[in-house]
Amino acid sequence: MNKRSDKRTSARVVREQIEREKRRKRRAWIAIIAIGALAIGGVVGWTIYVSNRASSVNIPAQANPAGNGIVTGSGPVVVEDYIDFICPYCKVYHDEASANVAKLLAENKITLVQHPVAYLDRFSTNQYSTRASAASACAADDGHFQEYVAVLFANQPAEGSAGPTDDQLITMGTQNGLSENFAQCVRDKKYVTWAQKVSDDASKAGVTGTPTAFVNGRKVQASANSIVAAVNEAGGATPSPTS
Amino acid sequence: MRWISLLARLGLAAVFLTAGALKVPDLDASGRAVVAYDLMPPDVAMAVGAIQPFIEIALGLLLLLGLATRLAAWISAALLVIFISGIVSAWARGLNIDCGCFSKGGHLPEGQTPDYLPEILRDVAFLAMAIFLIIFPASRFSLDGRLLATNGSEGDADDE
Repeated sequence: MNKRSDKRTSARVVREQIEREKRRKRRAWIAIIAIGALAIGGVVGWTIYVSNRASSVNIPAQANPAGNGIVTGSGPVVVEDYIDFICPYCKVYHDEASANVAKLLAENKITLVQHPVAYLDRFSTNQYSTRASAASACAADDGHFQEYVAVLFANQPAEGSAGPTDDQLITMGTQNGLSENFAQCVRDKKYVTWAQKVSDDASKAGVTGTPTAFVNGRKVQASANSIVAAVNEAGGATPSPTS
Repeated sequence: MRWISLLARLGLAAVFLTAGALKVPDLDASGRAVVAYDLMPPDVAMAVGAIQPFIEIALGLLLLLGLATRLAAWISAALLVIFISGIVSAWARGLNIDCGCFSKGGHLPEGQTPDYLPEILRDVAFLAMAIFLIIFPASRFSLDGRLLATNGSEGDADDE
């Protein structure tokens, strides 16, 4: 126990304290860097989210006041549906319900508002959902929305494949009575941002899948029976007697 | 223990990196998955759905590198508790949704019933890994170990 070893011990204690202090600081820096990394992740996500909102959108003339659906007819009961042109169930729904819906339109019982959303771009290799939705808006401008929807569903590509190209979408239209204006509209990609808007608005309306149908704002199963029943109920009409 | 912590750390890293990477290509779908839970206003849910995958990836990278392991483990545990509560609440409310954990999410087609229990059990297993890391954050091959080592030797970096 001499003075020298005492000094040595206290020097060691001091050194250890300095060391500990250094590590504490370093630990704080590591935490800051980690939180920074998470924050950067959040900012990247936010930036992409904001920049994905379409900036300028052309609204088709036949659109509803909100600008996110194509209107057919002018009856008292509002039937809305949300369809994606590559979604197999949407084709099933269309094939099963369109005749009845057309009848309701012919009887002027309903106003039909159709939202061709592009939820399923990942199911084709060439963003078919968006392009088909945009082309359907071009067909609406040409006055043949319903006919073109039928053509699109009749030629629905399989999920996971490449959907029809823009040129093929044009041919499918012109072969079925659509004009050169329609072709130019598809070529100009006039309604590509509109397809995005329709999808955004639908998401915000709480529509998370397709097909989804509403009758006077109330969600109903997307099938002929439920829509006809809901329309009759909403219209106050008693179902026609089946003698 | 350090080897087990390494396994837990890399396992969780893989979970978050995979979950994030699967969502990034379609952020709108990720947003709709959050909307489907019906727990917040749709436009808020869309934003949450867009941000969440990037947070997951950042968290996965932290875990992969072993940087701020204990903090990352706390955040992982917090996220997993939120995910588990979300699924439990969807189940309790009888919602017919895909959890959107590693996939597109959203409502299931008519006639398809969700299977929530395995999803919950899986998340609970991940939560257990996160809790293990909170208790034993020091692991082999971590940046923490490198940066906090005393005098070059790989000391007990996170032992206090």
